[in-house]
Amino acid sequence: MPDPHQIVAAPAAARPGGGIPGSSRAPRRVPLGVSFGRGVRPWLLLAPALIVLALLLVWPLIRVGQLSLQDYGLEQIVSGKDNYIGFENYTELLSDPLLWRTVLPNTVVFALVCVVGTVALGTLVALLLNLLGPAWKWICSTAVMIAWAVPALTGTYVWVWLFDPFDGLMSKVFAGLGLIDPATSNWFTDRVGFYSIAALNVIHQGFPFVAITIMAGLTTIPRELHEAAEIDGAGAGKRFWSITVPMLRPVFAVVTILSTIWDFKVFTQIYLMPGGSGGNDDVLNLGVWSYLESFAQGSYGKGSAIAVLLTVILLLITGVYLRTLFKEREL
Amino acid sequence: MRIRTRRTTAVTAAGIALLLTLGACGSDNNGEGTSAADTAAAAGSSAAGAETTGADTAGSDTAASGTAGSDTAGSDTAGSDTAGSAPAESGSQDFAGKKLTVWIMEGTNPDATPFFADVAKDFKAQTGADLDVQFQPWADAHDKFTTAIAGGTTPDVAEIGTTWTPEFAQAGALEDLTQQVAPMKDNLVQGLVDAGTMDGKLYGMPWYAGVRSFVYNKDVFEKAGVQPPTTWDELVAAGEKIKSAVPDVVPFAVAGDCSYCMMPFIWGAGGDVATQQDGKWTSTIDSPESQAGLTFYTDLALKQGLSTPAAATWKETDLLKNFESGKLAMVITGNWTITKITTDAPDMKGNLGAFAIPGKTADKLSPSFLGGSHLGIFKASQNKELAWKFIELMSSDKYAQQWAQSSNFFPGIKSLLDETAKSADPLIAPFAKQMVEAGKSMPVTPDWGKIEGAKVLTKMLQSVLTGKASVADATKTAAGEMNDSFGG
Repeated sequence: MPDPHQIVAAPAAARPGGGIPGSSRAPRRVPLGVSFGRGVRPWLLLAPALIVLALLLVWPLIRVGQLSLQDYGLEQIVSGKDNYIGFENYTELLSDPLLWRTVLPNTVVFALVCVVGTVALGTLVALLLNLLGPAWKWICSTAVMIAWAVPALTGTYVWVWLFDPFDGLMSKVFAGLGLIDPATSNWFTDRVGFYSIAALNVIHQGFPFVAITIMAGLTTIPRELHEAAEIDGAGAGKRFWSITVPMLRPVFAVVTILSTIWDFKVFTQIYLMPGGSGGNDDVLNLGVWSYLESFAQGSYGKGSAIAVLLTVILLLITGVYLRTLFKEREL
Repeated sequence: MRIRTRRTTAVTAAGIALLLTLGACGSDNNGEGTSAADTAAAAGSSAAGAETTGADTAGSDTAASGTAGSDTAGSDTAGSDTAGSAPAESGSQDFAGKKLTVWIMEGTNPDATPFFADVAKDFKAQTGADLDVQFQPWADAHDKFTTAIAGGTTPDVAEIGTTWTPEFAQAGALEDLTQQVAPMKDNLVQGLVDAGTMDGKLYGMPWYAGVRSFVYNKDVFEKAGVQPPTTWDELVAAGEKIKSAVPDVVPFAVAGDCSYCMMPFIWGAGGDVATQQDGKWTSTIDSPESQAGLTFYTDLALKQGLSTPAAATWKETDLLKNFESGKLAMVITGNWTITKITTDAPDMKGNLGAFAIPGKTADKLSPSFLGGSHLGIFKASQNKELAWKFIELMSSDKYAQQWAQSSNFFPGIKSLLDETAKSADPLIAPFAKQMVEAGKSMPVTPDWGKIEGAKVLTKMLQSVLTGKASVADATKTAAGEMNDSFGG
């Protein structure tokens, strides 16, 4: 375990030389009389990145918006002609009971469970890693990273294989415990069963990122704070909630928001599960639905409208998160 | 001081987090890409080989995405130059210096490279043009076609799954082949001609076809003392005998994600998916006959208990996998999967039997979906004359026969198919019989692609199997969805 004082000292020592560019040096340059350059130069320097971003992110975004206002199918793709129909896709979408009864609840509840699960498990693992000696820490974090490195595709097949209702390991274990009757049950066809397995999969894949990020954050908390609290008689729980959590708020903010975004638009893990690719309407989520409408059925307009809806919901939720959970300056 | 340091660290952490996000996004996209492939497989399932190859390739082959094979045939030709072979055939060199690009689906034939090397040699000899064969995995194919059509980067000729042909033709991407095909029209397998015909015009030259029938485990049948059934009643009786005699084997899995395994029972009961009247399609999946067929099929699982609840979400690949491991007594599967079964499970060899899908009564079989591939010429092609010459070459007795043999499919040429049908091979004859006597196509309309994509039939079947809907309700919903697609 490295001495915390060194960690605190190291960046501080580095500052006079490196520093944060701009903030400390810019004022000194003003007298040199490059006022024009000061206004334009940053933008010039940013231009390549901005252009790339605009091409890769903004243009597709605009295009999806355009498509969502059209009745766009294979014919339109071939002819290259637009076919605007106003907000018809949206009215159709928003008046579809499937959206309100199935797709939206599936997406939101699933994301909620996954975010809570991922962040909670990730935090616990980070706290554990933080307690370990260097060798065990290395071994455990490697193991954790492997869970992360497994592609979603492979991971999903492994979970499906484990839970295979016909001859999977878990169905045998559960049947052995008398919890299910393998002759009559198939948890993939049931909404709760299906999404429980999907949640295990997503949490398993998502927690390493949270764990590693929070572990990095933990190393920045000066040890004296904990020592002082301990001397004052604070227990482990008290120290966690009163020192660790407030100190790591920005880190928690980042991992929560990112997990939310990822878990909302989860696709592979659902699509590849039995019945998840459109055979069972009960288990659709927004991502899969959008994909099915666009690519399986060739209704690119409606698919885009669903994608736009997903984006809007995500923006709203992220916005609310930022307002309620975290103060502005912490980001 | 300390606070600032912490803030810097926090900012750094956030920065790293963002970088990781980008990384994760990348991998996420990969995931989506691959699974996108999977859908295409699902969408293309109709095209005979798609499901078996599609699902299998989804994981591994997508990245390679077909281009890997692209040069094989082409470069081989480069070597076999004009000197020796030119005078051999009716050889003209009218097209010397030109190059024909062809997309062929990967996986139909275990190794198609030597076949196309031969084709390329003959093609060069006959026309003087080079052949560039590019192999595309079934899984990706539908998406690839759509993007190619959109971007104007279609090949000259392509193998097209029979259920896609009307869709692409409707989109205006395919050339009308009626004129060219006319002289040989009577010698083509009718089901394939029907599947490629829209408004009286033929858009795809029938190439090969396959059909699903029963494949069974001889050991299990012997142990239970049952014979291949010839009627539906016998099928139920056989299933029940197996169930009591060999309890650890599932007699007949009713797979929820395999609509083509269900269709024989709907057709066999006299029902149908949809009928066309005055150019307008109407769904008949909710007709009393169709409902009776679906009831019989789902009752095999729900009433007679011949299936397993796990099968409610099974695809054809799951059926095959479990049959290979000896857990199923019989499955409905395509003739092209026989080789796969014997390769995956060598001890199954000699233990396999096949029989055509029995009818309600013994006097006729239940029809089974006849799927396969067309060869089509794209409108955007600059070498249409040359493209037709290639199709002619592929349809010649020599190559049509050779392809059928090496790929385990049936040729789209009637005279060749009739020859195959006389085969004494117990694993070929029942399929050939099924194809000749009771092969049927799905509704030939560009809207069918949409309905297939929406998995209307699968949803109907699954909802009955899982007890979420009655047969009457499920068929009504399905008919409604289909009529929506036909209407719009």
